Amino acid sequence: MAFRPAAGFRLKTRLLTVVLELALPVGAVAAWWFLSSRSTSVFFPPLSEMATAFHQTWLFARWNTDAVPSLDNLALGFLISCVLGISLGVFLGLAPVVADAITPVLEFLRAVPGVALLPAAILLLGIGPQTRVSLIAFGTIWPILMNTIDGVRAIDPMIRDVTKSYQIRGPGWLWRIVLPAASPQIVAGMRTALSIGITVMVFSEFTGTTNGIGFQILTAERAFAVPQMWAGMILLGIIGYLLNVAFRGFEHIVLRWHRGMRQLARS
Amino acid sequence: MKTAAEIAEPSSALLGDMSIKPRRLGARARRYGYAVAAAVIALALWQAAVESGLISRAAVASPVEIARAAAPLITKGETWAAVGDTIRSWSEGLGISLVVAVPLGLLTGANELLYKLTRFSFDFLRTIPPVAIVPLALLLYGATNRMALVLIVFGSVWPMLLQSMYGVHQVDAVARDVARAYRFRLRDRIFRLVLPSAAPFVATGVRIAATMSLLLAVGAELIGGAPGIGDQITLEQQNGDIPTMFVFVVASALLGLLVNLALINLERRALKWHSAQRLASA
Repeated sequence: MAFRPAAGFRLKTRLLTVVLELALPVGAVAAWWFLSSRSTSVFFPPLSEMATAFHQTWLFARWNTDAVPSLDNLALGFLISCVLGISLGVFLGLAPVVADAITPVLEFLRAVPGVALLPAAILLLGIGPQTRVSLIAFGTIWPILMNTIDGVRAIDPMIRDVTKSYQIRGPGWLWRIVLPAASPQIVAGMRTALSIGITVMVFSEFTGTTNGIGFQILTAERAFAVPQMWAGMILLGIIGYLLNVAFRGFEHIVLRWHRGMRQLARS
Repeated sequence: MKTAAEIAEPSSALLGDMSIKPRRLGARARRYGYAVAAAVIALALWQAAVESGLISRAAVASPVEIARAAAPLITKGETWAAVGDTIRSWSEGLGISLVVAVPLGLLTGANELLYKLTRFSFDFLRTIPPVAIVPLALLLYGATNRMALVLIVFGSVWPMLLQSMYGVHQVDAVARDVARAYRFRLRDRIFRLVLPSAAPFVATGVRIAATMSLLLAVGAELIGGAPGIGDQITLEQQNGDIPTMFVFVVASALLGLLVNLALINLERRALKWHSAQRLASA
């Protein structure tokens, strides 16, 4: 039904969109570079100095000692909460009575800001990476768990009936019916969890550790090494963006069937 | 193209269930009974884990200890001052973001050129973890409320901005054409078409921002020493008073729970007419 422009025209508009989208960030960075080039402000040094500090610190002098451990903690914590959150969520989603009963407890636990447990976690688990991994897992599990429960409960009753009458049961039923049906919700929960995870990761490195990106930034701030501090902030920005892009790619693959269904429903 | 559902964080099951009226009172009472029982069992397990030494008492307080520590604190002015500080930074930060982000988002969403020009930049800025600016805020403002405020604004402005943008941009094309065909006045177009269609998106943005900024507020207080609940947690940890420290951890959780509840209720009341809400409470 939709009006379809010719291929050449579409390519042109697409190109124009990309140019438009990039114009502002490129312009902003260029403006920042030139406007700050003669900056004498202690807090906002020239961008060129930040770039130099970035090169010296993160490419790749401290990459292996600080950036990699941070990302390892994040990956491990996120993985733990995905596995636990999804499996527990599927169980609770299929057992509505249990889910209803323990939802208030879960809601309370979810409301605990992960960072608030940092002192207790350090006392309990010491200053090793396990402290930060557990905190990240604690902070990220709730959106995944809650969304999985919601997603499983919202499965079309007709699908349940049809699979029952076809006697589809056991692991096949879980893998091929329940999980895919709940996956749009689960993925949305994982997206929220990822941004919480990055926040908790950095906060957990601000105290009780001697390495990590957060540790490096805060140390630079305390030593008044402002360009180094900015370099760390820029690194966090880049990591945040790349993780987001990676997640979008993951979503694209996992939810491919879902997009197809929506398009079908629309046409 | 992103839709609201992709960014949206669905409202929780607990809060969603509140509005559903079970046909019989008995079913409802039984459900509440189960919930209370589950809470009691959870507390008992926690108590047992601490009593038996499974979880070290030096790190985690038991519920009984927390309750005992909380009793004298409730009448103390300093406790409420700390809670008040956190609430103030948080609500001021959210308020500033709301005032800045929503009009800007509605404006950029309404204009196709502006939308294309800014979408990528705003999306990029959204992905920058707000904690990244903690050191800068500390350097500029030290351990003050202002520091927490800056952090909260930076963390909550982007989700609100993007949601408002998407909200306006996804106004139903047919409705838009109808409004144009009937030559609606600009004022009517804004108040009767654009704002109502964008409202659910904005509400979602506010909810996402509220959750995230509590985490940021407590974190800024805990690490940066800005006055508030987080600062009290650090202080009590340094005093070695674990039960009192946990009183403040619980307080921060209760605060989060209350605000989440309040926002969802407000959203439901304000957007009663919207199909997503009707569907949810059907």
